[in-house]
Amino acid sequence: MTSMAMELAAVDSRRRRTRLEARIKKAASYMLLILLAVPFVFPFWWMVSSAFKQPSEIFTFPPTLLPSSFSLQNFIDVFNYQPFAQQYLNSLVIASLVTVGTLLISSLAGYGFARIKFPGKTVFFLMLLSALMLPSEVTIIPNFFFMKSLNLTNTHVPLVILPIFGAQGVIGTFMIRQFFLSLPREIEEAALLDGASRWGLFWHIALPIARPVLGGLSILSFLYSWNLFLEPLVFIDDVNMYTLPLALRNYNDVYGAPLWHLQLAATTLAVVPVLIVYVIGQRQIIDSFASSGVKG
Amino acid sequence: MLHLTNSQRETIWGYLFIAPQTIGFILLIVLPLITIFVFSTEERNLLTGVVVPVGFENFRTIFQEDILFRKVLLNTLTLTLGLVPLNIGLALFLASLLSQKLRGITIFRVLFFSPVVTSAVAWAIVWRFMLQGEQGTVNQVLQLIGVEGPNWLRRPEWAMLSVIVTLVIKNVGLNTIILLSALTNLPSEYREAAHVDGATRWQVFRKITLPLLAPTLLFVTVITVIGSLKVFDHIMLMTAGGPSNSTMVLVYYIYYQAFQFFETGYASALAVILFVIALVLTLGQWLLRGRAYDD
Amino acid sequence: MSKTKLFSLILALSLIVMSAVGVSAQDPVSLRFTVWVGPGAAMDMLNGIAADYTEANPNVTVSFDTLTFSEYTSQLVLQLAGSNPPDGGWILENTAPQFVESGVITDLTPTLMAYPDYNFDDLEEAALGLWRDGDALYGLPFSTSPFLIIYNTDAFEAAGLEDPNALAARGEWTWEALATAAKAITDSTDLYGFENADGTVYAEGFWSTIFPIARAYGGGAWDAEGTCLMNSPETVSAVQLYHDMVFADGSAVPPGEAATFAGGQAAMRIGQISRVAQLDGATFGWDIAPMPSGPAGSGSVIGQAALAVFRNSPNADVALDFLAFMTNATNSETMSQFFPPARASVLSSDTFLNSNTRLSAEQMQLVVDGIASGTVLPSSPNYSQINLQTRALFDELWIPVADIQGVMNTACETIAPLLAN
Repeated sequence: MTSMAMELAAVDSRRRRTRLEARIKKAASYMLLILLAVPFVFPFWWMVSSAFKQPSEIFTFPPTLLPSSFSLQNFIDVFNYQPFAQQYLNSLVIASLVTVGTLLISSLAGYGFARIKFPGKTVFFLMLLSALMLPSEVTIIPNFFFMKSLNLTNTHVPLVILPIFGAQGVIGTFMIRQFFLSLPREIEEAALLDGASRWGLFWHIALPIARPVLGGLSILSFLYSWNLFLEPLVFIDDVNMYTLPLALRNYNDVYGAPLWHLQLAATTLAVVPVLIVYVIGQRQIIDSFASSGVKG
Repeated sequence: MLHLTNSQRETIWGYLFIAPQTIGFILLIVLPLITIFVFSTEERNLLTGVVVPVGFENFRTIFQEDILFRKVLLNTLTLTLGLVPLNIGLALFLASLLSQKLRGITIFRVLFFSPVVTSAVAWAIVWRFMLQGEQGTVNQVLQLIGVEGPNWLRRPEWAMLSVIVTLVIKNVGLNTIILLSALTNLPSEYREAAHVDGATRWQVFRKITLPLLAPTLLFVTVITVIGSLKVFDHIMLMTAGGPSNSTMVLVYYIYYQAFQFFETGYASALAVILFVIALVLTLGQWLLRGRAYDD
Repeated sequence: MSKTKLFSLILALSLIVMSAVGVSAQDPVSLRFTVWVGPGAAMDMLNGIAADYTEANPNVTVSFDTLTFSEYTSQLVLQLAGSNPPDGGWILENTAPQFVESGVITDLTPTLMAYPDYNFDDLEEAALGLWRDGDALYGLPFSTSPFLIIYNTDAFEAAGLEDPNALAARGEWTWEALATAAKAITDSTDLYGFENADGTVYAEGFWSTIFPIARAYGGGAWDAEGTCLMNSPETVSAVQLYHDMVFADGSAVPPGEAATFAGGQAAMRIGQISRVAQLDGATFGWDIAPMPSGPAGSGSVIGQAALAVFRNSPNADVALDFLAFMTNATNSETMSQFFPPARASVLSSDTFLNSNTRLSAEQMQLVVDGIASGTVLPSSPNYSQINLQTRALFDELWIPVADIQGVMNTACETIAPLLAN
């Protein structure tokens, strides 16, 4: 064999080895990903499968991955135990109002901060931003007394206005301001020369362009309100006024011990629709979460 | 109709646009924040409605007499110090795994992120269910491989760790996505050049990728630290501050003083302390950041 | 400009609309009472009494709101502090001093004294003690219910054990006998021997289980003078007995487990007669026995719950009238199947002995005896604080190797200032 041929063979085998290595690496990556995914996925699986189990099967050993027979009884009992449909509706209505309110208020302010010159702009903006670091636990006590003085505890009003004007709303303003800052002014300026008013510019030109960021913001606002816990806990007393997070933890026997079959069935009903929407719109949802912070 | 100059008109428009948010913000954030300082100098009982001004007595009690407060601070610190490195480390690892060009990698991205969109209450309920004593799912699985797990949420030495791990799995997706997007936007020339120079993967990661990621990492660390100060839902639902107050953190203690003991004045003093901690952290981050940008 | 105005207007309007929806209209009079009993037979009975009242007073409707027992007091106070306070509610014996001192509940005596045929003197003065402040009476203990042992007769038979009532008749039904029986059942069946009171011993209901044992051994929680009794040798041996059942014998349901008596997973429990309703449709035989005795005699303990009317109720007068109606002799008799009243005439009547469809007259006699000899659970004006401080300490008891004396010493030190007030 000539040295030339030997060298070629060596190159060939190295190439083969690197290909093999690459394949092993790939397989290892997949294995690792699957293994790591278990604690992220299993809770959902377990929640759903337990929700279909009879109460007596929930704690059997060894645990059964699938219920021995699919029972819908838990899902029926969820509605008999407390006004779950009403509570579900409460959450939907509140989250929708929060979303609409945030879109409205934040796009006004976000546009104002990005596009209009006025004295004190930076001061106001920094003041709003400072809310991001303020835990809502700090202000909940005075807000409780404030709402009480307006006769608004045990109503949904605080649950709607606190997110809109609190940190969540500020994030919205920030996102929209960033969006407009990254956008060339030319289109608007042309319209301005045509005699459009500021309002006309905002409403007819800027807002339609901002549709993608508004879409992202509505997802964030809706989920924020949907998942809110401390505020309903403090402001709402009446079971009929409960939102989902309060309702979920209310499936206890009278002494406070959880009725797991009901708690898990109700949690399934609350979580699965969100997950379905999430899987369908995953790209935009993940992006909007990421963009709410990245440039912060 | 008044005659206004263009810039005057602009000014009015500007204020009109920001007015709704700013007014709401002043009413619901700024005023309450000021109020909390007033409340903190009072004894205010929620049950009896009696309000007595006590000056700095609440703060004196907190720092000199309240033994629980020391434990609470320590717990809060433990939570932060446990949660942040675990969260960031895992996020970095997941982000680098997810940045590979593999078929179906999006599926994993969706999976790791799914707890982020799930309500904390739901997540805490399911994990509390799985972390029960002998009957808990986690322990049953451990039993299958011959390990006898502890009663996770009812043992002082395990409860905080259990809460931390549950929180990390819940929230790591967000940091992962942020780091992933930073990672994919990194200029690839340096890394390729280093590869050609014969550097190992680890060397490339340590010497090139990590420094390039530093600003993002700093940002992610800050939001995670501040987030760790706000952990309330998981504590309330999984351990209620127990066992032996081992998971009683500051936000939960504020809630407890205000709405279980009805001492809203004392709770306000605690809230002032929480506010100061958050403020110091934020200012510290600004300073750090300034330096990061100077470099 | 006009559109901005429009938006603020819309926002303002929507706020007004939402608040209007939120605050329920006070059409004629609707009363709201908070309770901790959930849906079931007892709740049906309460609603029945409310319906009777509405029949007599067509403009009044009464509803009962269930709050979770473990968070009852905190939820109630939050409601009282909010803008939609309830008109009345149940109050637990351990928070009685807290509420009596708070000034948020109304003196009942003027209404009850004047109520036709109420027969105020029929109430047992001894049972009213907790709720009195001078001559004023702030809560009416509608339930003065002794703790009993409810047991699974099938499990006792399967384990070849003698019936607790037979032991009691000979004076041999002691806590040690109970522990022995629990262990025998655990060893020979797949049931736990013993479930603590409503599964609450590891959380807020520590005393419901431990206090009866401690009483039987001559100990307790604290006395009326504010002396802590938790670290006394008697109380420590009582805790030791229960601790051994959990960790040495494995016969008592341990922390974090969901085994219940009603579910057929435990063979005995501590409970009051209201809990018997949970046993409808049980697939096993059951009976009730008195609380076991100990070195210091009977450990009979009474759980009390009182009805109160809140001072801030806009309809306090109507609420007081309803309270009187609900606790008059007739309705006390109706309620007595779940909630034995502090009314001498009811307790001594045959009607009471036969009031409970689930229990025989003989079994009901145990209730009467229990009331006669029972002590009320510990209470204090600082109960919430004491409860939080001690609960954290008591968590350290529930590990296999626990320093019981040490924990109880610390508990006494910790709550000394709270008891002194």
